[in-house]
Amino acid sequence: MKRSLLLLLLTLLVAVIASLHLGVHVYGPATVWSTFASGGDSMHDIIIRTLRLPRTLNAVLTGAALSLSGLFMQAVTRNPLAEPGLLGVNAGAAFAVAGGLALFGALSITSIGVLAIAGALAAAALVFGLSGALGPETGPTGILLVGVTVAAMLAALTQLILLLDETALETLLFWLSGGFADRPLPLLWIGGGALLIAVAGAAFLAPSIDALRLDDHSASGIGVNVVRTRLVALTLAAVLSAGAVAMSGPVTFIGLIAPHIARRLTAKRPGFAALAVLTMLTGAIIAVFADILARLIVAPGEAPIGAVLAFVGVPFLIHLLRAKRLREVGV
Amino acid sequence: MLLLLAGCLILATGLGSSFISPSRVAAALFGHGSRTDDIIIWTLRLPRVALATLAGMALGLSGAILQRALRNPMAAPSILGITDGAALGVVTFLWLFSDEANVLTVSVHWQPLAAILGACVFALLVGMLTLADRSRRDPLRLILYGIALAALAKACVTLMMIVGPVYRASQALQWITGSVSAAHWMDVGVVAAGLALSLPVLILMRLPMRQIVLDQQTAVTTGLAVDRSRIGLLVLSVLLTALAISQVGAIGFVGLIAPHAARLFLGQFRPGYLLATALIGGILVLAADTLARTIASPLELPAGAVTALIGAPLFLSLILRRHRRNG
Repeated sequence: MKRSLLLLLLTLLVAVIASLHLGVHVYGPATVWSTFASGGDSMHDIIIRTLRLPRTLNAVLTGAALSLSGLFMQAVTRNPLAEPGLLGVNAGAAFAVAGGLALFGALSITSIGVLAIAGALAAAALVFGLSGALGPETGPTGILLVGVTVAAMLAALTQLILLLDETALETLLFWLSGGFADRPLPLLWIGGGALLIAVAGAAFLAPSIDALRLDDHSASGIGVNVVRTRLVALTLAAVLSAGAVAMSGPVTFIGLIAPHIARRLTAKRPGFAALAVLTMLTGAIIAVFADILARLIVAPGEAPIGAVLAFVGVPFLIHLLRAKRLREVGV
Repeated sequence: MLLLLAGCLILATGLGSSFISPSRVAAALFGHGSRTDDIIIWTLRLPRVALATLAGMALGLSGAILQRALRNPMAAPSILGITDGAALGVVTFLWLFSDEANVLTVSVHWQPLAAILGACVFALLVGMLTLADRSRRDPLRLILYGIALAALAKACVTLMMIVGPVYRASQALQWITGSVSAAHWMDVGVVAAGLALSLPVLILMRLPMRQIVLDQQTAVTTGLAVDRSRIGLLVLSVLLTALAISQVGAIGFVGLIAPHAARLFLGQFRPGYLLATALIGGILVLAADTLARTIASPLELPAGAVTALIGAPLFLSLILRRHRRNG
């Protein structure tokens, strides 16, 4: 556990440093160092300080938020395929923001945050409610189908809103394609705030979630309120993914991949609290590397982060689906 | 249902930036219209309306065949990644065969072939993944692999559009969101020919299509080469899908809705089932396209978004119903 923690921290550091150096212009370490050490106003100073640094921060925060959201969902639903992007929670947040912009015109940063959270909560309630109606023996795949379908529907609605309202189109199309670059800085506060709340919640919930590894019956036998734990955890997951959407648009697959990788990093099965730390670090690393890749693979253009992540995420999803029995993936 | 389709046709032809009353449409169709009406209807509106209808028929049929061959009521070309595979084929085609000045170096008539190739490759991939799966008997498996591969195809398409010049991206985007706006009589002819060619095959396959509904054992005892006819049906379905969407773009969910609607009206073992499916598919795409171009005119919405809004809730209810029956 200690060793993998150290390893992840080092990797994240390397990723962040690489993210400051790489892009359409590749800067040497000397330039980057002098930018932060002595300021300066030349073009590359401005690029590094006002473009590369914020997008790197954004990637770290978004990656951490999405992966923790995925971990919450996977842990309390005992479903290895749960993920905010695939379950339509991101799409719900995006739809709410798009609808708000079309109805009320320009929005303040706070109202974007509030709308995103409301949309994410509503979508999560819809998806989990519908799959709850499927009954307990549905297995992990039923909820994925419901989620993907709800996500498709919400995306179609968002598309319609955008086409009907051209001003919204201008501002939103870019944001909806998902990515970490050129986002308004104050949004980072919303996302960071959501992350802080959720981390506190994770620390508080950790013992109850650990108890949920037993079946529901034994868990309530040792004094855990199963329903409340599940509800609070899913709410936190929705808040997290809403924060991520506010920061960088709907980004899929990080929440699916990161918890699984984090689980494999340690030999023993760590408790939820430790796993949450490892997962957030893994998610941040994935996000930063994906962002660097998005800058480089189609340079001088930029690839949408969602497309980059799909190349990693889809094979991973197929691998999870092929696992002998989904339960053996271990949640 | 034929009457309904005819009514929709006349109404859809009349609707547009200038409204033409049904009686004038009918007059123009039979050759007694005024000159402007003639031009608007015959060269502008009618190809589009005809293309939407025929493509819808092909998509509906393709969905019905797919559901029958796989014995899976949730199967549909857009859900199994076939549609996105075809989209990838078209974008790859535009990418490979256009030069510096964005001019295609080969004839654009090869585009449907590229769509068919893309569709076949992705259909094969989904099929192979499912066959290699230990729990392939679970009908959800197929759908899940389809969804995963569709996501992959979409990512490839997005990347290719960004790599290419802006002009090509907008060309591809318009195509992908599903639009019938650039219809010519030529395209109508292609889809009509495809439908006509599939007709004798369908008549030949009429009996196998009924037997295949039975379980494996029973179907074999009725003297059916189950695997062979299944593969034949699948190929036919992929071809029909690719043909339709190579002309009208990736309009999703039609292949899912039309067979179910036909089943509701008629029951799936009646002789007119496939015909009804085709007609409903035609009406559906025609209505979606007409809605899409009139509801926010002069803007055009993608017809695919309209069909997704009808199709997604239906798909949800199918999942729910399947589980209620099993549980």
